[in-house]
Amino acid sequence: MAGGAGNNEKCGKKGESLVCMVSRDILPILPNRIRELLTELPGEIFNQIEEIRLRQGQPLLLGLTKNDTMVTALGQPTSVPEFGYTVTEQDVMRTVQLVSSSSVYAFEEEIKNGFITIRGGHRVGISGKTIVEKGRVKTIKYITGLNVRVAREVIGAADRVMPFMIDPVFKEVQHTLIISPPRCGKTTLLRDIIRQLSTGIPKLDFKGCSVGVVDERSEIAGCFKGLPQKDVGIRTDVLDGCPKAEGMMMLIRAMGPQVVATDEIGRAEDAAALEEALNAGIKVLTTAHGANREEISQRPVFKYIIEQSVFERLVILGRSRGVGTIEDILDFRTGKSLMR
Amino acid sequence: MLKLIGAGMTLAACGSIGVTWARVYEKRPQQLVAIEGALQLLETEILYGATPLPEAMAQVAAKCDPEMAGLFRNTALELRKMAGITAGEAWEAAVRDFFPGTALNKQDLQILKRFGAPLGASDKEDQAKHIELTKSQLKLAAQQAESQCRKHALVYKYLGFLGGLLLVLILY
Repeated sequence: MAGGAGNNEKCGKKGESLVCMVSRDILPILPNRIRELLTELPGEIFNQIEEIRLRQGQPLLLGLTKNDTMVTALGQPTSVPEFGYTVTEQDVMRTVQLVSSSSVYAFEEEIKNGFITIRGGHRVGISGKTIVEKGRVKTIKYITGLNVRVAREVIGAADRVMPFMIDPVFKEVQHTLIISPPRCGKTTLLRDIIRQLSTGIPKLDFKGCSVGVVDERSEIAGCFKGLPQKDVGIRTDVLDGCPKAEGMMMLIRAMGPQVVATDEIGRAEDAAALEEALNAGIKVLTTAHGANREEISQRPVFKYIIEQSVFERLVILGRSRGVGTIEDILDFRTGKSLMR
Repeated sequence: MLKLIGAGMTLAACGSIGVTWARVYEKRPQQLVAIEGALQLLETEILYGATPLPEAMAQVAAKCDPEMAGLFRNTALELRKMAGITAGEAWEAAVRDFFPGTALNKQDLQILKRFGAPLGASDKEDQAKHIELTKSQLKLAAQQAESQCRKHALVYKYLGFLGGLLLVLILY
């Protein structure tokens, strides 16, 4: 029995268990039927839930830390699709209503973008029949697939990176690019770096500086009604759901950040905005998809940035020793590893 | 003397029964119009404020005719519980509680119930159309109720009074 969290778990505190988080944030947005199935799951499965996938007419599927599993109508894990509880149209429809607190009309913008962020900073991805108007997605009409993604927060994920990110003498933040293949904990690392830069790092004698975050896909701070649901530090301003290039300009003009952080740059206008930030003397912290330096330097946007030798540090993530393994930290200009 | 007092009381009692019956007819159009007004408020909240339904319902409850406030307040309360029910179900439960205390008839109940199902489940345009439809149905029902009221209210008042008179004549 996993759903009875709260009896013996310390819920509502910092560093609370995943069980608490899922019980408090995720279960209320699921229909009663599915809530019951999940609470029947053995604790060790419930503990590992990273994704809950509802696809109309398909078995209820849970993404776990290492693999995935289906759930039977009795709330037991199974790997046989035929035994899985089949998600109905009602289940999907109900979840959509619960996620939007019965106000789909208040989430038109979010649905257009394909996801809704819920309390706790978790995200619900949406798929179905899109309605296109003037070449742009207007809405998703028949919603048939949902992916509830549990947003994890790993306080201390950046502990090993921080000493390389701050100049030991001048206490200056270094321009840093984090690269990693998808689902290796890029955003989690970025979030913790932001938190540490913003709050300060006593161990490194770093006082903390104001950080501006442009959170286009609401992944970094996980804002719910504009308020960060994740700990992003005490000197952090977040522009939630804002296009990166525009957001960076807005922050630079209005909020006076010393560091600007964004997730997944890749478009031409992003590079222009980065340049603007650099000219304003602001430190830049960002991420990109990619496995190594060579791979990203093929891409036009980065080609320019690399030629200009904008970045000072390159952090490479992988999953060689589990999600979020820091494979290497390089001096961007010389290409030499700083870890060994 | 005693007889005369008794006769007066009988007359008053029967007369007031007639008035009570008539009042049901008088109340119905008023209440229908009040609900229509409340839905207008709801439409504004949804269309221009994009206010989430639990808040929108509470807002309407605060602003609308106090007689109708319970309906919207209860819906808001149900929704805030996050008990896994949809807006439609919350609305229907609220309507069930609300209906017996009103002068509305079965046909009005159907209109209210039908209003619940698509509530909050689609985009603004769709919601606005849906509220408009319900409002026009309520308006029509209010017009019918009004003309019925004109016909029946007076009849019931007279009937009560005359019935009382008849009773007095028989018993006297």
